[in-house]
Amino acid sequence: MTIREPTSEVDVEISINGRRHRHRVPARLLLSDYIRDTVGLTGTHLGCEHGYCGACTVIVDGDAVRSCLMLAAQVDGAEVRTVEDLAPAGSDSLSPMQQAFHDNHALQCGFCTAGFLMTLESVDPGDWTGRERIVELLSGNLCRCTGYQNIVDAVTEAWSAYHGSGGSNDG
Amino acid sequence: MSLDIDSHIRHSTRHIGRSVPRREDRGPLTGRGRYVADIKIVGMLEVVLVRSIEAHARIVSIDTSEALAVEGVQAVFTAADLADVKTFPDYIPYIGPVKQRPLAEDRVRYVGAPYAAVVAVDRYIAEDAAALVAAGTTYEPLPTVADLDQALAPGAPTLHDHWESNYSFDVATHKPEVDHAFEQADHTFSETYVSQRQTGLPMETRGVVADITDGTLTVWSSTQSPHMVRSTVALMLGMPEPQVRVVHPTIGGGFGTKTHIYPEDIVVPWIARRLDQPARWIEDRMENLVASVHAREQRHDVEVAYDDDGTIRGVRCASMLDMGSGEIFMPGTAPVFVTNACITGGYDFPNMQARTIGVVTNKTPAGAYRGFGIPEGAFVMERIIDRVARLTGTDRVELRRRMLVRPGQTPYVMHGGGRLDSGSHTESFERALEMAQPALERARARYAGDPDVRVGVGFSNYVEPTSPSYHLTTGHWGGGDAATVRVDPDGSVRVAAGLSAIGQGAETTAAQLAADALGVSPENVTVVLGDTERAPYGLGSWGSRGAMMLTGSVLLASERLMDKARAIAAHMLEAAEADIVLTDGAFHVAGSDQPSVSWAEVGTAAWIRYVDLPDGMEPGLETSGYFHPENLQHQLDDTGKINAAASWSNGAHIGVVSVRVSTGEVRIEDYVVVHDCGTVINPALVEGQVHGGVAQGIAGAMYEHFQYDPDTANPRFASFMDYLVPTCAEVPRMEVDHFESPAPEQPLGVKGCGEGGTVGPPAVVAGAVSDALSEWGVDLTECPVTPVAVRAAIRSAGAAGAGAAGAGS
Repeated sequence: MTIREPTSEVDVEISINGRRHRHRVPARLLLSDYIRDTVGLTGTHLGCEHGYCGACTVIVDGDAVRSCLMLAAQVDGAEVRTVEDLAPAGSDSLSPMQQAFHDNHALQCGFCTAGFLMTLESVDPGDWTGRERIVELLSGNLCRCTGYQNIVDAVTEAWSAYHGSGGSNDG
Repeated sequence: MSLDIDSHIRHSTRHIGRSVPRREDRGPLTGRGRYVADIKIVGMLEVVLVRSIEAHARIVSIDTSEALAVEGVQAVFTAADLADVKTFPDYIPYIGPVKQRPLAEDRVRYVGAPYAAVVAVDRYIAEDAAALVAAGTTYEPLPTVADLDQALAPGAPTLHDHWESNYSFDVATHKPEVDHAFEQADHTFSETYVSQRQTGLPMETRGVVADITDGTLTVWSSTQSPHMVRSTVALMLGMPEPQVRVVHPTIGGGFGTKTHIYPEDIVVPWIARRLDQPARWIEDRMENLVASVHAREQRHDVEVAYDDDGTIRGVRCASMLDMGSGEIFMPGTAPVFVTNACITGGYDFPNMQARTIGVVTNKTPAGAYRGFGIPEGAFVMERIIDRVARLTGTDRVELRRRMLVRPGQTPYVMHGGGRLDSGSHTESFERALEMAQPALERARARYAGDPDVRVGVGFSNYVEPTSPSYHLTTGHWGGGDAATVRVDPDGSVRVAAGLSAIGQGAETTAAQLAADALGVSPENVTVVLGDTERAPYGLGSWGSRGAMMLTGSVLLASERLMDKARAIAAHMLEAAEADIVLTDGAFHVAGSDQPSVSWAEVGTAAWIRYVDLPDGMEPGLETSGYFHPENLQHQLDDTGKINAAASWSNGAHIGVVSVRVSTGEVRIEDYVVVHDCGTVINPALVEGQVHGGVAQGIAGAMYEHFQYDPDTANPRFASFMDYLVPTCAEVPRMEVDHFESPAPEQPLGVKGCGEGGTVGPPAVVAGAVSDALSEWGVDLTECPVTPVAVRAAIRSAGAAGAGAAGAGS
């Protein structure tokens, strides 16, 4: 393994939301800064930059990751998805989860929302049935506005098809 | 202003009172929001501030040479470079002036105080160089004061040279009737109640972007009050206000922390001017924890006089605020005055004598946080009531029932002059009790078989002053707000207001109001907020003022616009103005089947087709309204009292908790809220405000606490690993119900709703845990109620014997 100076540069080729990007970037460039500043997709937000709040969550090769804890160089060759990829392309409509957030007033300032949506997007709903499991899934994302209740309600509603009527049990 | 809703509302399908979906959602949901950190300008430089690592020190020297040698660094500035910038104004006459400069000059008074600014072509380089400036700084450490006792000890080091002590202010009231109550009462007790240091902590940190184009300075700031930033930037940089434009982009939450005008709001524009190049600064979270205001750190030394039957005869309360270094504009003084003004909550309790004290310490400056002093006082009052109930063997619920402001008792003037214009103080408590009873039974049944668990219940009956005067807080600004309403030639409506959109749904609310006032659909209303160039002067969003200020200003402007529109329509329909009615979005002659005139036709006449205007009418269809609640007072009256809020919301919170005795773990089993903010404009938004407020209240009740090292005044927190923000696993489900007691003196009867949620939880949780552990005599006097605190309370109460709580005289 080559140890590089933080300011040395590396070539990366990264697919973001299905589009291929090639850049020469500083080895120390965070994935979050790469997505926001180099590529220009600012829907991914930085709430803490120490991996705690979850606002910067994106999907790398199918897994939810905190983009502030990864380097752009680490995802060379990977497929990255961000919040900009969730709504159906070329239409005004929202994804079912985005719609459920809207319908349930599950966002206020909206700064944390992308992180919640990407965490949710990364899992198979069938593995997360019931309110308690949804709470467990979302407990890595901080929201300061909503008190979480409407977020949990939105997810419960959006996933009701997977969960059947048992999805709305209080817990 | 009348309460007659129908006189204001012209829409056949009323939107006020309905959960109209939010127009603010789409951007954040799809990643197309535009927050301050999303703004990019060609050539934009990055600013990183260098902050003190000492809590109190003289800065002997700052060697910037190594930083300047880093490739990509454009400049390093210190206080000497900003000599042409004025100090932040000291507008409040009765507090010690701090003469704050944007960058610390030669002395730093808290860890996190900014004293240099590094400017570079990118953030990474700027951070590298900032580390070199920090390493090149020589301090001469000074003795520190880390808390109130240290700050007030004889011979304590003072923070501000021109002060004689660390007192910023000390304001006392004296009431002979309270002395009398103490002489007459059967018993007295003394206690000290403590509220710990916390902060609002929006998920978006602060940020400032500044650019100069053609002599106009544009500042994008993540602020709750753009016009106040504009006035202050112009004043301090010596620029005419029209040459300064302040815009708040999408705001990622504020919670009071973004009401202040910070050094960065001045330094970044100054850098953009100096270098004639756009510049930006984005706060990182570690900075945010020391560089954005803290709040809520208060100590209350209380004496209580009470009778055998539980009657509380009088209370003396000295409330002491730890202001940190005091170096913040506006000063963080006002919350402790609000604490004392609101301490009696929804209770009919005039015999309160308050002393209000502010003290500076070597910590981050204290300022605003949602609730603004109310939770601290509510905590004291509810703990007093529980103590007296326990000492006298009185039922806690019955005692509260005896004390609450009753139906028909409003308007009720509180001990400090606050005027409860209307409300449901008794009704809300009774409703909350009904809702909580099944929850309590459920919890008792759930843990009936577990000998390690106790169940308890806690109460809070509070008031929430809304749409307050800002004069006492700022010493400068008042408490009104403006809106401009325009109908364009195509019939579209545009509303611009001085309010800010900080995530609370102000744009949706403004659209609902204008839609109903002008008889159009909300989709036809464009709303502009938070831009000093496009909206009239306003004070922004804080103090739960948005709903009332928007209602007042938008309705006022709309009525003026309607007068003109009706005159135009009457002319076009060749009818008398008095016969014109507006139905289904068009003007008609009442009782006639003549064709109607649409808003587009009226707008076109007003702006373009002057031939359709009545003779001599001035063209145009744009009006303004400046709303200032008539009952709002800005200064104390002759008796030292003030009603500093235009209306008063109220609420009752009840929480049921389980406590695991062996571990001290507290679980909120159920949380019930009954809330009354007068006429509700948008129920979903109000409920969202309640949920979020309660979650922050629970954060303060159980988790969040900024702790400082007592010997060095160094923060013992640096990240979210040490400052515990609750997740969805910690915040319980809430059951919320509403009363609507319209504000009798406000348009539509609207009151504010932004802060009440934060008020109840500290009192509720401490009350419920004390109740659960009553067999040990536990009687909590401070938050957060952590497992460690619970175990300590059980141990110490147990050690003092089960009769520890019976210590009254």
